[in-house]
Amino acid sequence: MSTPISYQLAFGTYEDALRMVGVPSEPRTAGTVVSAARIQMFAATVQDGNPSYWDPDFARQTWGGLVAPPGLLMGWLTPLPWEPSGRPPVSAIAIRVPLPGTTFINAANEAEFPLPIVEGDRLTVVEEVVSVSPEKQTKLGVGHFIETMDTFTRQDGAVVATNRNTLFRFTPAGSS
Amino acid sequence: MISWDEISVPRELPEVIDEITYQRVVMNSGSTWDYFPGHFDPAYAESQGHPAIFVNTMHLAGFADRIATDWAGPSSRVVRRKMRLTGSIYAGDTMVGRGRVVAKHCDTTVDPPRRLLDLQIEVVNQRGELCCPVELTLQLPG
Repeated sequence: MSTPISYQLAFGTYEDALRMVGVPSEPRTAGTVVSAARIQMFAATVQDGNPSYWDPDFARQTWGGLVAPPGLLMGWLTPLPWEPSGRPPVSAIAIRVPLPGTTFINAANEAEFPLPIVEGDRLTVVEEVVSVSPEKQTKLGVGHFIETMDTFTRQDGAVVATNRNTLFRFTPAGSS
Repeated sequence: MISWDEISVPRELPEVIDEITYQRVVMNSGSTWDYFPGHFDPAYAESQGHPAIFVNTMHLAGFADRIATDWAGPSSRVVRRKMRLTGSIYAGDTMVGRGRVVAKHCDTTVDPPRRLLDLQIEVVNQRGELCCPVELTLQLPG
């Protein structure tokens, strides 16, 4: 028995999905601030010894604090897989789009970082579905490509990052 | 530290090789809080037609960023990164990153102007299959 997907995965038709296009989400604010512990856990994962992530003195002088690795951007607003309410955590808008596909995989991503994100920042994201493709057949299976645009602000309202992502929501070939 | 004034383009970056063990893939879920089961559960991954668990987009982004800033120095900063996920990097694979500088420009629409380098990075696996082509823009100090 394999692990089920713990996030809220919405099911529906292509027409249901299209109704979400162009409607910005309610803002979601991270439950915790950007922390040295998460910065360094990610830097260790990708084995990046950049002192901007590890050396508090260098980072303070250069950036105003330990820097959030740009690669971890989406992680700051990814919920933990369990929350005290017991309800499935609310995750990225792309997997809340109602469609038939039973699983998903990421296809493309484009991020911009107008300002460095540093330790202590509390991030808020507003997400929007930009487009949902008609049904496509790929080598993985049949599904839809969902393009989303996220805008990340910090506690003073400044935009620190934007994130354009394309996710493929599909049912694997060969499964019923 | 790379000097923006002195660099000529195109320029090749050193190749970076990284062996992705099961531990690294598990660390990937732990650090990004991305618990999609394809990233930690071999039975789920296999049920979706994958040979093993695989790293997520953030891991590949972090690898590309590491290649860029290790080369340019810690006072450089990634200001843009565009990537396509054309293949997965599985536990047991080796990631190879090959980067090059393809353009150098100064953004004068902001004050002070930003000194920028455009890089192209290809992440391939141990069989040479292109898994993730990346376009990345670095801002250099000064």
